[in-house]
Amino acid sequence: MSLIATGRTQTITDLEAETVLGATPPKAPVKSRLPGRRSFEPFTVVSYVCVTIFGLFCLIPLWMILAGSFTDESVLAANGYSFWPAPFSVAAYQLLFTGQSLINGYIASLFITIIGTALSLSCTASLAWVIARRLPRISRPLTVFAYIPMLFTGGLVPLYLLVTQGLNLSNSWFSVILPVMLAPFLIFVAVSFFRQLPEDILDSARIDGAGELRVFFQIVIPLSKPILAVLGLFYAVTYWNEWFMALLFISDPDKFPLQLILQNLISNVTNAASLPGASASQAAAPVYQLRFAMTVMTIAPILFAYPFAQRFFVKGLTLGATKG
Amino acid sequence: MQRGTAVADVGPGTAAVKSAPAPGATRPARRRKPTSRGTFGLLLLALPGVVWFVVFAYGPMAGLVVAFKDFNVSEGIFGSPWNGLQNFAYFFSSGDAPRIVINTIFLNALFLAASLGAGLLLAVMLNEIKGHFSRRFGQSVIFFPYFVSPIVISIILQAVLAGVGGRSGMVNNLLDVFDLPQVNWYTQPGAWPWILTIVKVWQLGGYTSVIFLAAITSIPEEVYEAAAIDGASRARMARSVTAPLLLPTMGILIVLGVGRIFFGDFATIYAIVGDNGTLFPTTDVIDTYVFRSLRTVGDFGTTAAIGLFQSVVGFVFVSVAVLVQRRVDKESSIL
Repeated sequence: MSLIATGRTQTITDLEAETVLGATPPKAPVKSRLPGRRSFEPFTVVSYVCVTIFGLFCLIPLWMILAGSFTDESVLAANGYSFWPAPFSVAAYQLLFTGQSLINGYIASLFITIIGTALSLSCTASLAWVIARRLPRISRPLTVFAYIPMLFTGGLVPLYLLVTQGLNLSNSWFSVILPVMLAPFLIFVAVSFFRQLPEDILDSARIDGAGELRVFFQIVIPLSKPILAVLGLFYAVTYWNEWFMALLFISDPDKFPLQLILQNLISNVTNAASLPGASASQAAAPVYQLRFAMTVMTIAPILFAYPFAQRFFVKGLTLGATKG
Repeated sequence: MQRGTAVADVGPGTAAVKSAPAPGATRPARRRKPTSRGTFGLLLLALPGVVWFVVFAYGPMAGLVVAFKDFNVSEGIFGSPWNGLQNFAYFFSSGDAPRIVINTIFLNALFLAASLGAGLLLAVMLNEIKGHFSRRFGQSVIFFPYFVSPIVISIILQAVLAGVGGRSGMVNNLLDVFDLPQVNWYTQPGAWPWILTIVKVWQLGGYTSVIFLAAITSIPEEVYEAAAIDGASRARMARSVTAPLLLPTMGILIVLGVGRIFFGDFATIYAIVGDNGTLFPTTDVIDTYVFRSLRTVGDFGTTAAIGLFQSVVGFVFVSVAVLVQRRVDKESSIL
């Protein structure tokens, strides 16, 4: 019951959001927390100011990077940063798009993100369902089994030896995916969602003769789309931003994901000169501008996905808050 | 903070560790029992996850025996000769141990306090913002840095502190305006705990505020109405109603943070500081130390010994945190 109810509310609030977005003047709040009181108290004003300042504090660094990536290297060197790229220059992007590095990086990052998220999601959902199913003698030991790694880990060295020597995964993108594939915490988030699914629906499917697997794939999965979206997004962002595993296990520059390419640019500025490929004249390569352009290209996918994904994240974080 | 859900769910599970998994049990369960064929299907579902846990979670735990061995690659983990506690002795006698342990705890405590404080303030203030759209917009903006990768943060920080080609940078330009001397930040170890704290607030302030905001929305409206009838101003309500009612949430987040206090935030710190030795006195934490010694020295035994030390102490912290949290907060609305 609660599932359907929350689903409904979500759609309505989204519609509201769109309405507010569409209307030209920001409407006065329909329902204030304080009926019969004027809203402009000092504290409210201070709040608006502080939140705005913090918002700017969050955005300005990103804007500087974007502006820097469009500013000519010589101006960058002479005047430092500006909020507006004075002589507008796309030299860095031109170099990036003519070279192979960026494309290779995108291929690697997309592979890791897409394949990794698919693997993570399917394993998380199926394991979580078996735990949530409360099977006698199976679910509880499994719970403990998945919980212990949250308390105690083997650490870096055994993992390193396992991946490089035990599994021989060096220079494979799977060496980035596999070590971070399952997050115990997210498994338990899925478990608590699955346990809220209405038992009646599942029972009616069983009475109609559906087996356990069929119930899972045809009833549970379709009913769990909201939570799967949340988990998928969390995993996808983790994979997209993952660079430590790549740093440990990938040494072939052609296989570097974007984050590792960027990391190389930090540790060694001259690496930037070689980024676009051998053909570019090394001396003239705009290294700082290139570095910013590369950064922009790395955050761009997140930035584009963000407006659509953000509400899922907020929902995921507050999942437990709307019980009952 | 997220661990709460898991912790709450795992509750009575510990008692059942000893019972061996066997299909077709007879204990009555709330849920409909599957047939034996159904159980087989379910076990099949669990299999990939279980295999992953065995290989990538429990495998490395077994691999920790390296800490007690004189490891060499040709003989492998289990073939190398034992050397007792020598690896540990080597680490504790190196003189690095107190520094990195203190750094880890100090930095994490600083990060925790700053991000929780900022998150609480932001949540209370976001709550003042009326209008569905503007509040959601504000939330979206301050939440975004959470998705920015450590590497990108590092690049931004270099732009802010060092500028192009090590010249000026935004902060130094600002210092210039006030006629203050320029600072070469990347050679000032003393400043870095605070710089990293600001980075953490940037990264996590919005994220934490979303958690607090969820707790605020679960505060019943009547409480505010009662306060309004008593003539409380908005500021007074924030101080005397909202803040005290957020204390349980705050408590849980503190407990969970303290539980993780022994695990440094490797990604952010290493991405920012890297191999800049000048900054090690204040920024070197256990995780970065382990990684560096693995890379530069290649001494697997000692490195694994440090890792084991961290895991054990970390385990103690986490366990205590979980126990405290479970006692303090049985049925919290959030987490």
